[in-house]
Formats: sequence, structure tokens, C-alpha cells
Amino acid sequence: MAEIKNTALDTLLEVLKSSGADAWEVTDREEAGWEFYFIRHRLDQHRAKNVRSFSVKVYRKFGEFLGSAAAEIACDASADEMRRTVEGLRSDASYVRNPFYTLNKPCKADGGAAQEAPDLEAISGDFLRAMASAPETDTEDLNSYEIFVSRIRTRFLNSEGIDVTAVYPSSMVEVVVNARKDGHEIELYRLLNSGTCDRNQLVKELAETLAYGRDRLATSPTPALEKFDVVFSTDPAKELYWYFIDRLNTSSVYRGISDWKPGDTVAPASLTLKAVKYLPNSSKNAAYDPEGAPIRDLTLIENGKAAVYWGGRQFSQYLKVEDSFQASNFAVSGGTESEAELRTGDYLEVVEFSDFQCDFFTGDIAGEIRLGYLHRGGKVTPVCGGSVSGNMPELMGGFRFSKEQRQYDNLLIPSVTRIQNVTVTGVE
Amino acid sequence: MKAPFSSYLSGIAPGLKELVALLRKTYDYVSVLSADSVGFSVAISQRSKSVSRQTMTTERGTVVRVYRNGLYAESAFTGFDPEKAAEKYEEIVKELDAQLRLLEAAGVEPYETGILPDEPRTVFAEMEAGILPEDADIAALVEKLSAVSGKGMEQGKEKGLNMIDFMVRVSSTHVCKMFLTEKQDLRQSYVYSDGMAGALVASRERTEMAYTSLSGRKGPELFETIEEKIPEALRIAKDLVSAERVVPGEYDVITAPEVTGLIAHEAFGHGVEMDMFVKGRALGADYIGKRVGSDRVTMHEGALCAEDVTSYAFDDEGTPAGDVTEIDHGILRAGICDALSALRLGVQPTGNGKRESFSHKVYTRMTNTLFDSGTDTLEEMIASIKKGYLLEGMQSGMEDPKHWGIQCILDRGYEIIDGKLTGKVVSPLVMTGYVPDLLGSVSMVSGDRGVFGAGACGKGHKEWVKVADGGPYLKAKVRLG
Repeated sequence: MAEIKNTALDTLLEVLKSSGADAWEVTDREEAGWEFYFIRHRLDQHRAKNVRSFSVKVYRKFGEFLGSAAAEIACDASADEMRRTVEGLRSDASYVRNPFYTLNKPCKADGGAAQEAPDLEAISGDFLRAMASAPETDTEDLNSYEIFVSRIRTRFLNSEGIDVTAVYPSSMVEVVVNARKDGHEIELYRLLNSGTCDRNQLVKELAETLAYGRDRLATSPTPALEKFDVVFSTDPAKELYWYFIDRLNTSSVYRGISDWKPGDTVAPASLTLKAVKYLPNSSKNAAYDPEGAPIRDLTLIENGKAAVYWGGRQFSQYLKVEDSFQASNFAVSGGTESEAELRTGDYLEVVEFSDFQCDFFTGDIAGEIRLGYLHRGGKVTPVCGGSVSGNMPELMGGFRFSKEQRQYDNLLIPSVTRIQNVTVTGVE
Repeated sequence: MKAPFSSYLSGIAPGLKELVALLRKTYDYVSVLSADSVGFSVAISQRSKSVSRQTMTTERGTVVRVYRNGLYAESAFTGFDPEKAAEKYEEIVKELDAQLRLLEAAGVEPYETGILPDEPRTVFAEMEAGILPEDADIAALVEKLSAVSGKGMEQGKEKGLNMIDFMVRVSSTHVCKMFLTEKQDLRQSYVYSDGMAGALVASRERTEMAYTSLSGRKGPELFETIEEKIPEALRIAKDLVSAERVVPGEYDVITAPEVTGLIAHEAFGHGVEMDMFVKGRALGADYIGKRVGSDRVTMHEGALCAEDVTSYAFDDEGTPAGDVTEIDHGILRAGICDALSALRLGVQPTGNGKRESFSHKVYTRMTNTLFDSGTDTLEEMIASIKKGYLLEGMQSGMEDPKHWGIQCILDRGYEIIDGKLTGKVVSPLVMTGYVPDLLGSVSMVSGDRGVFGAGACGKGHKEWVKVADGGPYLKAKVRLG
């Protein structure tokens, strides 16, 4: 079987080399996956996945311009079909001419040693046992969950001579938690991504969610607080930090979505944001990015000031950023206060939203409150309903964050973030 | 012309039928879904251009569903060789058995389900299409869209807007799917397209994106009129840059058709997906036959309700497309259902079993979700409001089928005072509320209707599929923040 598969890639490479394209890139992606779907703890169905395809991009030079076109080619495409597709891409590439840029050249990544192929059966077994050990009670339990375990192999090649392969695990658990009291039942939702199964971390996440479920049953309607301090300490906090990450992407800057420049103060004074090559059990650990550039640690924001842009080859070259790459893990640090110090005085800690979002273009934040803890006058009241909203640039002056950190798959961020003057619309 | 069925799928069909026959020796039920869908995407702006022969739904691959001892399992794969059905049979059984051994070792019990019926049926549906995506003149399209982008920039500047860019994105997909069992042979082919035109403008240290969309069960000929979207996108941009913040509170509002569609989708789209009934995750299960809205509220769901991006002949489980009356004059009548959930609930499937792609599991999913039209006019509706807003433009929504909470993030509110639009605009808006309260407050419904299929829908935060939704203008009472 392996021989047949390699023949397909070899055929495609021959087609590309003889196509007359000025340059090309190919990503050969193969995913083997095991999936298990549960209703309560009973098996709804199980699934296996073995899929492979080739992503191809063809380039043509036109003086100061570079044309390009992309396609996905099936792994069982015939040589004729491959030829027709690549010829079509050559033609398409002549119509879309962007300013010229060059493809990545071979460059060895630090520590890019071959990885051990993940064992689907072993990782799946770990997840099955972890989910069965969730700390359920008579009143808080798992409604349903889905386990996805994948072994992904990617091989990237380009006409400049890059030929790099990565094999890595990627896992995901979707879980719905129920809590009930006096005939009333609520649910909370989690989508947890990771490399493999970290049983202790997973059970900790489940325990936290089950506890929030219990508290959700004891909520009062959120009062209209107008402008109030809001604390973010769970998954939605990621949205706040993606705002900084996205605004420094070369694509955002070149397209005019972001006007941030190196040296600008773009974040609170002590905040430091880094692209990091490795985070423990991240599903995004890789030696090379999708265009074959080596990934390394890189400081993007230092003490609140933008340091450097990051991003893919095309837009990075347009902005004259050399040696850039498509980062996949990020870490935010620099907090000077502890979680406890941030949790003082009057504030609303929202731990569950219907859907918390930060608008990429405007920096507007908004979300409906499903569970919050209102700390006011020394009293703590669980609340539900109403919404929080504001605008990141306008709120930046009142943005504080903890020394302690919490990891969400490929993002390591302060465990507690407190923002002043957030608009809180109540339901009373 | 008819959208021709895939020659690739026709070519592997005999091998797949052999695979079904082999699997039937081991399993009590076997079905196969194979997909071979092609298309293109073009994105043009003043700053960058791209062309790809991929869209959200282009794919080639096969998924096999099998049933034994009360339990369903699936195997998804690419690269099927019709000459080697026996090898594929061995691979599938070996891997699914390995999973079963792991599950048995972990002490997992199955959620026992009955066997799907397999009545003899043949469908060969090649739907009407104009131009096929694979035949589109990409050079002419790029030229046209480049001109639209240029005109958008020019006209925006003439209107005094601080233009950063004017973007145009289009995609067109030729969907071909084949569903086979021991007794069924269903094949369908159709084309859908969608697109957007948007202005990126700078204002008061903010960057605003103003966009408008188009969609339909049509080929790239849909994009012939995309230039007509420029004035609308620029009008929205001008409104956004002058917008103020809303004073939070409860208001009488009129929802424009795209906002009406978002409400339909979030309220009684997700709210009556019956795989949620199986899991006890939807309040709707207890409200069939009961009032959930005013007399003016009637809502339909189904691939047959409109001709848009997800108007197929059969779903990903081979169930024929349907048209379900979910709410009839305020009374919740029925939900939508995939085939396995229907078995578990003892009801008929409605043609709403959809996969993100061949390699993903089936869930109950929406197709076209629409409020019915009424008899009021927009002018009468505006005149009836003392203080409130005309709500336009949708950004996103989130359902809570367990409690019927609804959250919609909207683009713009146009102030109405004493029955007249004042010209004041508020943005952005978070609309929240309790679904029966919102639908119960619907007091006027316009006679026209819009359908919007440029977006996509997730189940939870994954499993993205194409959907369309819409309806008329509705007058209701909502909370805005």
C-alpha cells in the first residue's frame, strides 16, 4: 500500500516538474483517525478514518509579478487528471498577479528530529479511561461526549528543494455537561483540543465544568451594572489574546486591517507575547510551518510594544520581514499581579458565555453571560443572562492580567484577566 | 443544462457495490456514501488576488456505514480502488474490530439502536445548472471582479469614505454524491454558488468591514450581478462609520430578512434538531403541539423550501429532501431529524442528515430555515413604532436549545422615533432574549421574503456545513446591548 501511495506523489512531482510552472509547492497530508461518540457513557457509534490528499500550488513569474493558483488533488487521481489539474492551475495563475515574492528555501530547523508515530489505540484508550473517571455526582454528570484521536503525517515539498515531513498527534474532546436541581436541568459545553491525552488535565477540566454546572443552577438574573470590572478566567479569555496575535500577522497589516507598527504601544505595559515552537501537549507543535519555514521562538510584543510581525511568506516579504514563519503556538507573560490580587474589590467574573467573540476588524468584544460570579460589597452572587461588551483599544488602559498562566492547547495565557469599564447589560 | 453526474463516481460504483455485498456478509446493514465535488474560489481586492480550485465543500472520498449487534460504525477513506474491493473489506473489518476490542476492554456498553430500513429505491438527479464551475471562464471572472473592486474603491472615495480596500470573494461548487446500499442506488448532481462584496474602511481609529452577500443553487452566472452589490456595501460602510453605541435596554424592533433568518436559524433551527432530543439536550422535545410564538409566526425547514446552497435531492443518509412545517401560527409542530435519531425516537427522518464532508459523522443539520411571509408592509411596520430600531446585518449567533436563550451579534440598528427613521445608526448590537418571548412578541410580518446562503453553520463549535436561512421583516420586542 505504501508503495502505491508513494507512486501517486512521485507521479504528481513529475507532472509539476514537467509542467512549465516557474515554481510549485505540494503538501501530502495523510490522517488516520479513531473516533468514539457517547450518549451518557453508552457508545453511540465508533468511526475510523484513513484519508489522504495533495494540496498543490503552482506559480508563474511575470516580471515584477507572481501569479499563483491552488488546488487539492485526490490521492487516487490518475496521471492524466493530475496533468489536467496542474495545467489548469498554470492557466489560472496567469490571471491573478500579485507583487513578486520568493518561496522558502531549505533551512534546517533546530531540534527537528523525527517524531515517533502516535499510537491511535493507546491514546484512544487513555481518553476512554479518562472520560469514564470524570468526577460525576448524582446531580452533575456528562450528557454526551465525542473523542477524536488522529495521527497526522504531512510532507511538504517545493521547487526550491524543501522536503520536510512531520508526524504528530492531534486530539479533540467535545463534552456536554448537565447539572440538575428541583426538576430543572442545565448544560455547559466544552471543546478541548490537545496533542495526546493528558488525563490529569482533562479530569481537572471536567471537574471545573461540573462545578460550574452546579453553580449555574443557583444563579440570579445579572443586574444592569453599566460600566464594571469584568474578570475572564476560562476559555473565552483566549479571544482577548488572539486579538493581539492577529493584529501582528503580516496578512492583517498588509491588507490594512491592522495599522500596528513595530515600536507602537499596542498592549498593557508589562505584556509580552511570544510565538513559541513548543508547548507541552499542544496539537500544533511542529518543526516547520505549512510553507516549509523553520519555526522558532520569537518575541512579538515586548513590554507592551510591538516588536515584530509574524506570518506566511507572501505578506511577510511584502512587509520586508525576513525569516518569518506561520507561528502555531503562542505564550503571553508579564503579569505583575497574582490571581488573588486581581480578584479583589467589586467585579464580575464571567466563566461561561453563550459565545464570546472579539471582532478581528474593530476590536469589539461581546458575549451573553451564561454564568458569572458577581463580587459586590463583599458578597458573591452567581448570575446569568445579560451581556458584556466593549472595545479592546478603548479598554486597553484598564487591562490587567495575572502572573499565573493557563494553557489552552496551543495558547499559554494569563490565568486571570481583569478589564475595567466593560459594559454589562443586565436582565433586571 | 443539467449538471452532469461525476464520471469518477460512476466508475467506482461497481467496486463499491461489490464492497457493500462483501460487508453484508459480516454486518446486518451496510451503506456507502461517496462524494466527488469540484469547484473554485476567487478572492480579489486592491491588495491581493487569489484563485483556488477548492471551496468549503469540494471533496473526493467514501464513507461506509455498518451495523451489527445494535451498534453502528463507520469507516471513511480516500483512494478506493474498484478492482480491490476485497482488500478494502478486510481493512475495514480489521480496523473496526480493533476498535471494538478496545471498547470492550474499557467496559463500554453500546447505545442500542434498531436497524435502518433498506427499501429498493433508485434516484438519478442531475439538477438544472447554468455554467458549471469546472467550465467557468476564470480569466473573465478575475477581470470582472477586479473591475468591481476598483469601482468599489473609487465610488467609496467619492462618498467621502476613508477606503482601505474593496474586496470581492466568490465560490462555486459542483456537488456530486452517490448513496448505495444492497437495494438502493441514489445519485445526485447540483451546482451552488455564493459570494460577498465588502468595503474595508477606516474611521475614528477603528477599522470597519461592511459587506453584502449573494447565493443560490446556480453556477458562476450568479456573479454576473455582483457589481450591483457595490452601492449596498458602501451604504453600509457609511452607516457604520457614523454609528453610535446603543443605550442598552428593551426595544420594539423590525428585523430585516437576514436578521429574521438568523433568528430562525438560532431559535427553531438548532432548537429542533432532533439528535438533541435523543440526548435530552433540547427543550423543544417537550413543546411539540404547544405555543412557542404569536399567531403570526410560521416557520419551515427543508431542502425543498427554497433553491439555495443546500437544496439537494437526498441527504447524506439517502433520505429524500423534505419540507417540514416546524411552527404553524405559533404552535410548534415538528422538528428535523437524521435517520439514526429517527430510529431512536420512533419518527420518520426528514432529510436533514448531513456531514461536514464524507469523512465526518452525520448529525441532524439545517438546510433552508425560513419564516413565512405575512401581509404587512415595511412602511406600516416602521410607522407603528414609537421608539425602536430597524435591525440590519448579521455577524453571528449562538443557540441554547436547553433553555431557549438566544444571542445574536448584529451589525446595525437604524433608530425609529414616532414612526419615522431618524437617520441615527447604532452599532454593534448584541441581541439577547428568551426565544418564546421573542417569537411571542412578533406582531407584524411583511409580505416579502429574502433567503441568504453565503454563510456556514457549526454544531457546537465544529462540523461546518452550508445552510441558508431567511424570511420577511418581523416586528418584535428584543433586548439590545
